[in-house]
Order: sequence, then C-alpha cells, then structure tokens
Amino acid sequence: MNMAASEPRRRSVQLDRVDVRLERVESVAPDATVRHVDQLDSDTLEAVYAALSADRSVPAAGTGLEPGEVIVFTDYFRVKRA
Amino acid sequence: MTQYVIIGDGISGSSAAETLREEDPESEITVITDEGESLYNRILIKEHAKGKLPEAPISIHDEEWYDERDIDLSLNTFVTSVDTDAKVVNTHEGEEIPYDKLLVATGGTPTQLPVENSDADGIHHFWTFQDARAIREHAEQANKGVIVGAGLLGIDFAAVCGAQGIEADYLMRGDRWWRYALSGAGAEIMHEGMREVGVEPVFDSGVDHFETDDDGHVTAAVDPNGDRYECDFVGAAIGLDFNTEYLDGAGLEQDNGIIVDEYMQTSVDDIYAAGDITRFYDVLLGEQAQNGSWGSAKEQGRVAAVNMAADEEAEQFEWVSSYSITHFDFPFLSFGHPTIGDEHAERKYSDTEWRRIAFKDGKVVGGVLIGDLSPQSQLKQLMREQREVADQAEVLLEKSVDLDELAPPQEQ
Repeated sequence: MNMAASEPRRRSVQLDRVDVRLERVESVAPDATVRHVDQLDSDTLEAVYAALSADRSVPAAGTGLEPGEVIVFTDYFRVKRA
Repeated sequence: MTQYVIIGDGISGSSAAETLREEDPESEITVITDEGESLYNRILIKEHAKGKLPEAPISIHDEEWYDERDIDLSLNTFVTSVDTDAKVVNTHEGEEIPYDKLLVATGGTPTQLPVENSDADGIHHFWTFQDARAIREHAEQANKGVIVGAGLLGIDFAAVCGAQGIEADYLMRGDRWWRYALSGAGAEIMHEGMREVGVEPVFDSGVDHFETDDDGHVTAAVDPNGDRYECDFVGAAIGLDFNTEYLDGAGLEQDNGIIVDEYMQTSVDDIYAAGDITRFYDVLLGEQAQNGSWGSAKEQGRVAAVNMAADEEAEQFEWVSSYSITHFDFPFLSFGHPTIGDEHAERKYSDTEWRRIAFKDGKVVGGVLIGDLSPQSQLKQLMREQREVADQAEVLLEKSVDLDELAPPQEQ
C-alpha cells in the first residue's frame, strides 16, 4: 500500500525493536498527535486490537504506531513504549 | 509546465496535491476550497463536538504546508463554473484559473430534511469543522434532543448527545438502525449502546414537522404518527447532496455522483474526480460503487494524481474500505460494501458480539463486525483475493477465523 502522507506531522522514531502498549487517557493535550482507528491500515488496526483485547504490548515494527500519539478507539489510548 | 487545479481541500484533494508535487515537481498546483480553513481531520470533528477533543489536534495542514510545497491554496473561494473548452475554472470573484488537468474533489453537503421548520435554530447538520464547533457550543447548553437519520452519520449525533448529557430520542423510519446492513440481532446491540448513553431509539417514526417558539428556535419534533418529542437540540443526518452545481454544462456524466473509471477519470478528458463525490468503478466488485470513508477518499486522491501526472492510465484504484464507530464500549467496524450482495451470513456470539458477511457471486464484498474485530484482516484479504467462499460461510463465522480451514481456491 502506497499512500500519500498528508496526515499528522509524524515524529521520526527508530522502531525496529520497540514494543509498544496502549494506555487509556482521560484527556488530550492541544499539541498531541491524534489519529482515529479509521486512519490506520489493516495491519496497524490488528495490532491495536490485539494490544487492547489481550492487554499486552505489541511490536511497533510493521505498524504505523508511534510512541506518544493518541489513538481514538472505544476510548482514547496513548501509544507508549513498553 | 503542467497546470493542475484541484477543487476541494478535503483528504482526497489534499492527498492529490501532495502526490502531484511528488510526481511532477516542476508543475503548478492550485487548490481551491470554499472553506475558510485548510485540511483538517474530518473523522475527528465528532470528537470535538462531543466535547472530548480540543481543536488543535484536528488540524492537519497549516498554510505553511502548502507554501513549503509551492502549492497555491485559495481559501473561501467558490467555483462558479468550469469551461471545459477553454479549460478554465471560474470563481465567484471573477477570477479565471486555467488548467491542463483538473481534479474535482468537492464532496457533498448534508441534505436538509424536506419538512416544515427544518431550518429552525437548534437544528444541526454535521459535516464541517464549523458545524462541529456550533454543535459543541449548543450541545453544552441543551437538555433534550432529537436525532433523525438512522445511518452512520446519524449515530454521531447520538454520541454527541450521550457525551454532552443530552437526553435524546432517536427517531428512525424503519424498525432498526442502519437496516440496510444490519439484521435485527446486530442492530439491537447498537440500540442497547444508544440506550446506555441516554439515547432512546424510536422505531417506525421519523419527522413530519418541527415546532418552534416565537424566536424561531426548535421546541419539538412531531413524527408522522402524530407523536410529539420535545427538544431544544436536533441532529439531522439523512444523507448528502453532492456539490456539483458548478459543473452544470460541463458535460461530466453523473448518476448520484460523478461517474469515474478505475483510474478516477471522468467522462470528460483531463478532468478527474476523487472522494465522496465519485461513483467509481470498483474493480473488486465489478461495478460502479460509492464510498465515503476517509481511507478510500485519500487513496482515490492519490491514484487520481498518479494518473494525472502520468497522463495515462498508470494505476487503478483498488481498495477495501473500513468505517468504524467508536462511541460505545464495544467496537463496530463495517468494511467493503456491506449494504449490497446477493447472499449473507451472520452470527451473534454474545450480547455485544455479532458478525455479518455480505457475498456477491460467492465472493466477500463487505461485512459488519460488532464487538470482536479480530477477523477483519482475514475478511478483507478474502475480498481483495476475490475468492469464492460463500459456500464455506461456516468457516468465516467461527469465532476465530482461520483461512487455512477454507478449501484451496479452484484453478481458473
């Protein structure tokens, strides 16, 4: 899939060996990067769903998840390094 | 030097502009929008209306983004006509903008209810960031709501009412929410989600007219049965009218949207279209289709731009769309074209888990997953592969879907 990247300013992070988890947050700061799950590709959505349904960390490699960003799903979840 | 003009700065127009700059660095690119702000995240404006998300994260591009890419952005500019012979776009200020290739990406405008007093104060439609700001401001003060439109857009109003503490009645014409894609079993899960946030579904209803006070503010909705629902806040979402008035006389083939082929090319040379406004040829479906999802619009804009820059049919649009509802405790995801198909299979797994798969000619063409999204990748894969699997629907309705349990594809 080759999609133009006209979406939130993304931080450049080396994610080859990083695991991430999703932490529920109650509020979002004005300077936060926020994405809705419908902006995620199918593999990234699968990683988000796996992380939340099993409450576990997932490898960031191969997904579009970036530490610090907030994902809007059934709640708001911040992506954190595991 | 090629001159590209893009009408519309939503995700499809913006995606096209970015791709054109990459594909044709020496070109001139102009983006025209009637909105007063550059690209923002249309999926997230409902979160702002709910009072949960501040404005800043919803903005995607500031004007600097266009400057950095040498893209000329014209805000607050209405296109009045397109002269396809002279290849010129005319604006409301009398400006004539020449183009070599044109992209139409103007989307739609919410359809107004064709009933008495539907333009009263307090009756909201929901499409732009400005709409979201107005809805949020009003919802924070409102007490009693009515929602009209039993589809994917209407349910956002239910979520706004729930999040803002507005007790609401959701008036539906049929016997369930999104009756074109959900059976009673699936819809009831959604109804229960609504009830839990204080929104009561009302079936076999709708709106006959609205009542107003002396100041013109809505005070009640009266349904065709004569039942009266007091309210000081109304959300109406019954569909979209596509913004094509300025194309009258341009000769583009239309059929409830602009007809494009799989390359996003319209019936007029050098004019392309992308996003909600298109009826595109879906190569997976084998017929014209429509889709209003963010990912589809973005990809259509990119594909259109690739073909515009190449000046040939370089890449076709092939996409399995997703649309999620994230307002309740359980997730909801529809994919592909869940409202069409000649065969369906469904199963309920628990009070919050349900699955329905739509098949056409034996192939998966769409579906809806409620509660458990785990099979979404496999089902989308089957749709992309166009495998005939309807006769093995039981495998696809297993709680955990394992594609290896399907019989191998037949050699063609």
